[in-house]
Formats: sequence, C-alpha cells, structure tokens
Amino acid sequence: MSETRLKILQYITGIGLFLLVGTHLIVSHLSGGEPTAWESIAERASSSFWLAFYVLLLIFGLYHGLHGLRTIIIESIPRLPAKVVDWTLVTAGIAIFGYAAYIPISAF
Amino acid sequence: METKASEKGHLPNRLGIKGWVWGGNYTLERYLYTLHRLTGLGLLLYITLHLAMNGFRLGGVESWEDLMSVFGMSGFKVGEYLVAAAFIFHALNGGRLMLQHLGYTLGKPKPPVYPYVDSMRRRRPIVWVMLASIMALAIYVLVAFVT
Repeated sequence: MSETRLKILQYITGIGLFLLVGTHLIVSHLSGGEPTAWESIAERASSSFWLAFYVLLLIFGLYHGLHGLRTIIIESIPRLPAKVVDWTLVTAGIAIFGYAAYIPISAF
Repeated sequence: METKASEKGHLPNRLGIKGWVWGGNYTLERYLYTLHRLTGLGLLLYITLHLAMNGFRLGGVESWEDLMSVFGMSGFKVGEYLVAAAFIFHALNGGRLMLQHLGYTLGKPKPPVYPYVDSMRRRRPIVWVMLASIMALAIYVLVAFVT
C-alpha cells in the first residue's frame, strides 16, 4: 500500500478513534454509577453492540497507534529497512488483536 | 546512510530524536508536534497496559474486583486524568494537523515582502483556538474527575 493511502487511513482511524474513545471515556469514566463494577461489565459483555464497538475500537486503535509508531521508528532510525519495521509491527498488531479480541468475544 | 536516504528522495535525519527538542529556531507549532508524538507514545503505552489488564476479566469476579481496588488508589486517579488530558491534546492537535496537511488552514499565499514570513512562522488563529479548547476540555474533565 502506498504511503499516501497509509496516511489517509491514519486520518480516518484518527477521526473514528475520536468518536469511539470519546464514547468509551464518557461511558466508562465520566458517567454516573459504577461502570467498572462487575455487574456493569457483565451487562456490557452480553451486548452485541458493545462487542462490535470494542472490536472496532481495537482495530482503529491498533492501526492508528502502530502506524504512528512506524512513522517515528522509520524517521528516527533511517538505517532500519522499512519492510522489517512493517512486518514486525504487523505481527505485533495481529498478536495483540488476537489476545485483546479474545477477551470480549469469550465473555459474550 | 546519507546515500540511502537520498536514494529515497528524503534528506537524512541527522538530528534523530534530539531534533524533537531543539534543532534551531523552533516555533510553537514545532513544539506542538513534539508533544503530539510524546502523547501518542504515552497513549500507546497506556492502551497496551489497559488491554493487558482487561485480561483479568477472564479470571472472574474476584480477580476483577482485586484489580479495581488497586486502581481506586489516588495515584492511579492522577494517572487516569493525565491519560484523559493526553487524549484531549492528541485528538484536537491531530485534527489541526489533519486540516493543515490537507491545506485548509495554511492561510492565503502572500507576496514575498521583507521581513519574510515562511509558512512555519506564520501565526494561525486555529492554533490558539485549539489551545483554548484543550484548556477548557481539560478543566471540564478535571472537575468531572474530582467531583
């Protein structure tokens, strides 16, 4: 994929994260009640809406974070071949996604 | 190294990470860029820890409540607020960067009349609007955290 497309995806995921993380912060930290209580967690875990929400948040967050990290690494250590950086981050991203998506899916 | 960089059509990055802090007569926007990267790395570290902590949910009620009792301590509350503040800064500054990269808020071209003002040194109202919005939101979230 070209650098321009990767950057456009960075913008799209950035806008998506603004909405998704904003909602997550409001629901989990700024709203009343006990959002981190086990009952509240279990209630959200059984909802297909929240499952889709968290998986989408995870995909957007991983892409945005790892692409940002890639930009910093490639710019700061230009000797490193870009393909090595790309494949390392893609592998790390898939591993983190597998672990992090397993939690809400297994609780659903 | 220089040959490789020039082959790709880029100038070599001689300053490396040191260039984030100082590389000459930097403007406010350049320091906002440094802060954007620092908050981005901080948020990435937080998200990694957050995802690892989420794994405690698989251990059942006791495991989860033990973890939550640790996070109820005041030190973690301060950390939680710093994460929220970093998110506010990163999100709003990211929006500004996006608009500038796409050329929307760069301002109209001006004739080169002395004293010359290059694009990096031009004062843009969007920077001050953004900083005011960050301050307002950070204070709002602080009040929400405290109360």
